[in-house]
Amino acid sequence: MTKQVEPESLLPLRPSVFHILLALSDGDLHGYGIMQEVAEHTAGQIKLGPGTLYGTIKRLLSGKLIVEVDERPDPEMDDERRRYYRLTDFGQKVLKAEVQRISRMVSVAQRKRLIAKPRT
Amino acid sequence: MMTVSQRLFHLLLFAYPREFRHEYGPQMAQLFRDCYREQTNQSPIGLGVLWLHTVSDLFVSAPREHLERLRRENAGMSNPQRVVLTLGTCLAIIVVAFLLLSYGRSHQVTSILFFGKALDALVTAGVVGNLIIFLLRLTRLDPVKTALWTMLLVNSILFVLAWALGSRVDPQINLPGMLIAYVVSFLFWFALHWLWAKSKGDAELAFEQRK
Repeated sequence: MTKQVEPESLLPLRPSVFHILLALSDGDLHGYGIMQEVAEHTAGQIKLGPGTLYGTIKRLLSGKLIVEVDERPDPEMDDERRRYYRLTDFGQKVLKAEVQRISRMVSVAQRKRLIAKPRT
Repeated sequence: MMTVSQRLFHLLLFAYPREFRHEYGPQMAQLFRDCYREQTNQSPIGLGVLWLHTVSDLFVSAPREHLERLRRENAGMSNPQRVVLTLGTCLAIIVVAFLLLSYGRSHQVTSILFFGKALDALVTAGVVGNLIIFLLRLTRLDPVKTALWTMLLVNSILFVLAWALGSRVDPQINLPGMLIAYVVSFLFWFALHWLWAKSKGDAELAFEQRK
């Protein structure tokens, strides 16, 4: 019997891990798609290189946070040599746990008036 | 057609461990091609920016992958307590032999000087041989065979060197005595490594490697 891994036990996530999981939360992506998505949602601050991207993907696959999928979002437009990756349920739980952890930190920073509270 | 940059990137992939390169090399090359297209279309300095980014990523990610592979393949070396204990034991033996030899020479203790050559060989071969063995233990080589061949080679080379240099200084050099000293040194260090390898940790490691 394999031991159940608690999502919280993997926190805090490395920035590259967090951003890849976040990029995959919208749907399946290939390596270049992940890289572009990460660069976009970090306003170009984080640009994953090939080694870092695929090294992280390898670790996420072995940790069962993501899986490789055969389906193609648009088979006609796509190169079949590309590999697509999908967030697993466990990966989703880990991502949610990390987002909650970060949001708690943001709340602390707001209470300490380090950043302003968003206007409602 | 592949550009010079793309060919160069294929060569750089050799910086990664073989298994990683086989699994992700084509994907990484594809990613580089995509980035190359994007960057060269964007600006004239795009190619320079791409290479700067690629090389800096390589310097970080390639050693990380190698370290991870070593950690996975050589679980015995990932136990810091065991590494410290092994290094400490060898160092302690070398220091004791060296101090004993120094004391025997300065106080002219006949019983110590009787074993002088053996102690001398033990210290010299111990320092050189163990250093090589510890470096080789980072690889997948069998620990017993590594110790056997390293100690055999180191003691043989040191014996030949000592004989060649010693005979120039002293034509009456005691060749059989020197030979016995290096044989004793070889047997001592090899026996120590053999016993160590037979202890629990290395037995587990050997089993893992056979699997």
